[in-house]
Amino acid sequence: MISLKIQQTFIEIKTDFNGNIISIVDGYFLKNEFIESKSIFKICTFLENVLDFLPINESLNIDSLIINDDNQDFNIDVEILKTEFEIFILIQNRTTLYKYIGKLNQNRNDLFFLKREIDEKNLELEILRKIAEKANEEKSRFLAMMSHEIRNPLHVILSYIDLIEQENTSPIVKESLKYMSISGKNLQVIVDDILDLSRIEAGKLQLAKLPMNLGVLINQIQSIFDKTHKNPDVELQFYVAENIPKIVLTDDVRLYQILINLINNSIKFTEKGFVKIAVKLISVENNFTTIGFEISDSGRGMTEEQALTIFEEYQQNQLDDNRIHKGAGLGLTIVNRLVRAMNGSISVNSKLQEGTTFSIKIPFNIENQSDIFEKVALKIKNEKSLKGTKVLVADDNYLNLTIVSHILKQEEAEFVMVKDGIEALIEISKNTFDLILLDINMPNLSGDDLILQKSNYEKMNGKTPILAITANNSVENIATYLDLGFKDVIPKPFTKSQLIEILLKNL
Amino acid sequence: MIAKKVLLVGSFGVGKTSLIRRFVLNEFSEDYISTIGVRVSAKIMKIQEEEVKLLIWDIAGTYGEEKIPKSYFLGASAAMFVFDVSREETYLDIKNQLDAVKSISGLKNIMLVGNKKDLISDEKLAEIMKIIPISIDLMTSAKEDENVEDAFIKLTLQSLK
Ligand SMILES: Nc1nc2c(ncn2[C@@H]2O[C@H](COP(=O)(O)OP(=O)(O)OP(=O)(O)O)[C@@H](O)[C@H]2O)c(=O)[nH]1
Ligand SMILES: [Mg+2]
Repeated sequence: MISLKIQQTFIEIKTDFNGNIISIVDGYFLKNEFIESKSIFKICTFLENVLDFLPINESLNIDSLIINDDNQDFNIDVEILKTEFEIFILIQNRTTLYKYIGKLNQNRNDLFFLKREIDEKNLELEILRKIAEKANEEKSRFLAMMSHEIRNPLHVILSYIDLIEQENTSPIVKESLKYMSISGKNLQVIVDDILDLSRIEAGKLQLAKLPMNLGVLINQIQSIFDKTHKNPDVELQFYVAENIPKIVLTDDVRLYQILINLINNSIKFTEKGFVKIAVKLISVENNFTTIGFEISDSGRGMTEEQALTIFEEYQQNQLDDNRIHKGAGLGLTIVNRLVRAMNGSISVNSKLQEGTTFSIKIPFNIENQSDIFEKVALKIKNEKSLKGTKVLVADDNYLNLTIVSHILKQEEAEFVMVKDGIEALIEISKNTFDLILLDINMPNLSGDDLILQKSNYEKMNGKTPILAITANNSVENIATYLDLGFKDVIPKPFTKSQLIEILLKNL
Repeated sequence: MIAKKVLLVGSFGVGKTSLIRRFVLNEFSEDYISTIGVRVSAKIMKIQEEEVKLLIWDIAGTYGEEKIPKSYFLGASAAMFVFDVSREETYLDIKNQLDAVKSISGLKNIMLVGNKKDLISDEKLAEIMKIIPISIDLMTSAKEDENVEDAFIKLTLQSLK
C-alpha cells in the first residue's frame, strides 16, 4: 500500500491518442483537474502536439516542466508510455526540489551579471585612471613651464623695478612703479604658491631639521611686520611664553612660511582691532616638545561651513577676495599641508563678525641644548661680508647677469662676468677666485659639464667653492648637482638677501 | 484549428521569457527571474485567414556548453534561437551553438533573433551583423516592443512549412 502522503505527490493518467482522459490510474496530485472524458491538454499544454510523435512501447521522460493550476505554478517531472491502444502519463510533483534548484540557478546567473557589471566598471576605472595619469603629466609639464618660463622673467622684471625705484624718478613714474611692483609681487606669490603646493602634493617637499631659535624667529617676524604693517586700526601683538625651549630642530623656512601665511591671512580679513600671535609650550617628552602657535584676530570671521572648507584648494570666502587680496587662495592649503608634513595639527575656530583663531600644534625634536647653543654661537660669531671677495659669474642670460652684478656691486665684491661656459673655463684656468657661480643651462659648455673639467682649472681654483645657479631646484636635481661637485645651489629666482646669504655661507 | 509547437532557446538572460511575455501578454519587466524548466504558453495566430494555435515553449537558458534535453523537441515544428546583442559571449560562437541545436532537435531551419537592440547603437548593431557568419532573421527589443510580433509571425510561418 502506498501512503497517502506519497499518493499526493504524483498522479498517473490513462488517455487515448487524442489526449482524452480515460481514467486516473493512481495518485492524488491535482486530482480534480483530471476529469474522465475531458482533454488533458487544458492543464498539460505541453502534451499538445507531442502525443502523436511518441514512440510505441518506449517510455519517455520530460523533466522540469511547469504547469499552472488556479494561478499556482507547479514544477513537475513527466514519464509517458504509449502502447498500441492507450497512453500512460505519470506526473510527479517536484515543486519543492525545483524551488531550491531555481534559487541556485538564479544566484549563479545573478552572479554572472554582477561580475559583468564589475568588469565593466573596472574597465571604466582603468580608462579614468589613464586620463588622470595623463592629466597629472600635463600638470607636471605645466608646472615645469611655470617655473622656467614665468618665474624667471617675473624675477627679472621685479629686480629691474627694484633697480629703477632706487633712481631719481618723477612722482608719476614712482607711482606707476609701485603698482607694477605690487602686481608683480602678487603674481609671484601665486606662482610660488602653486609650485609649493604641487611640490608638497608630489611628496617632493623635504623638510630640513636644523637648530633654530624660536624666540629669534618670532622677533624677525615681528620686525618684518613692524615695517610692512601700515593699518593703524589693527594692532599686532606678539607673545612668546618664557618656558618654551630656546632651540628646536626644524625647517625654519617652512615654519616661517606657515606663520607668515597665517598672520597675513588674519591681517587681510581684519579691518579693526587686533591680530595676536601667541607661542606656548604644550608638552615636553624626552627629546620632543610640542609647541602651540595661536594666531587670533578680531576680523570678520567665518561661518561654520566656511571654516570646514577653509583648508581646501582655491578657497576664498568672498568671490572677489582674490582680486582684493593677493594669492590664488592657496595659502591656507599650503599651511595645512606643511603643518601635516611636520607631523603637526591645525584647527580653526571662528565666529562671524567676531574673529578667527587658528591653532597649530607642532612636535619638535630637541637635541642636547648646550650642543646646539655652541653651534648657534659659532654661526653668529662668523658674521662675514662679501667686501673684496673675488667672484666669477657665468650666465648666458644677460638680465640675470645684471641683477647679480648689481647686488655684488652693492656688496662691494670684486667680480668678473662671462656669458658662457667656455669663457668661464678660460677665466678660471687663468685667475683664482674666492667663489665661482655657474649657470647650469649655458650655450657651448653647460655648468654641469664645465665642473667636470677639473684638470683645466685645478691649479688656479682647485679649492674654490663652485655654486650652481639654476631653476631646476627640485630635491633630486640639487642632489645631482652636489654629486657633480657643486658646493651649493642658488635656486632661481632668488632675492638679494637670499643670494648674499648663500654666498657668505660658502666663503 | 491546427496547433504548432515552437521553442525559444538560447543562453540564460538573453530575453526569451521577456519576448514571450511581450508577445502573449504585452508586458515587460526589468527584473530578471531566471526560468526553471519549461513553461508553455499558447497564442492563437491568424495567418492568411487561417487560425493557428501557437504552443510556445519557453526553455531555461543554457549555461556554457550545457545541452537542451532532446525530449523537449518532440513534436516541435520550429525554433527560435535568441542571443543578446549587448553580450558578446552570447553570439561569438553562435554557429556552433546553432548547429548543436539543429542536431538535437532534428529541425532544419532555426530562426535567429538578436534581442535587446535598445541597449546598443545602430552602428554597433551593423557591426554585429558583420561579425556573425550566419544571417540574422531579426533584431528585437522586448523592452521597447520592437519587431517582437514580426519575429513570432515569422516563427509561425516557419512552423507551417
Ligand atoms: N534592455 C532590455 N532588456 C531586456 C530585453 N529583454 C529582456 N531584457 C532583460 O533581460 C533580463 C533577462 O530577461 P529574461 O526574459 O528573463 O531572459 P531569459 O532568456 O528568459 O533568461 P533565462 O530564463 O534565465 O534563460 C531581464 O532583466 C529583462 O528585463 C530587451 O529587449 N531590452
Ligand atoms: Mg526565461
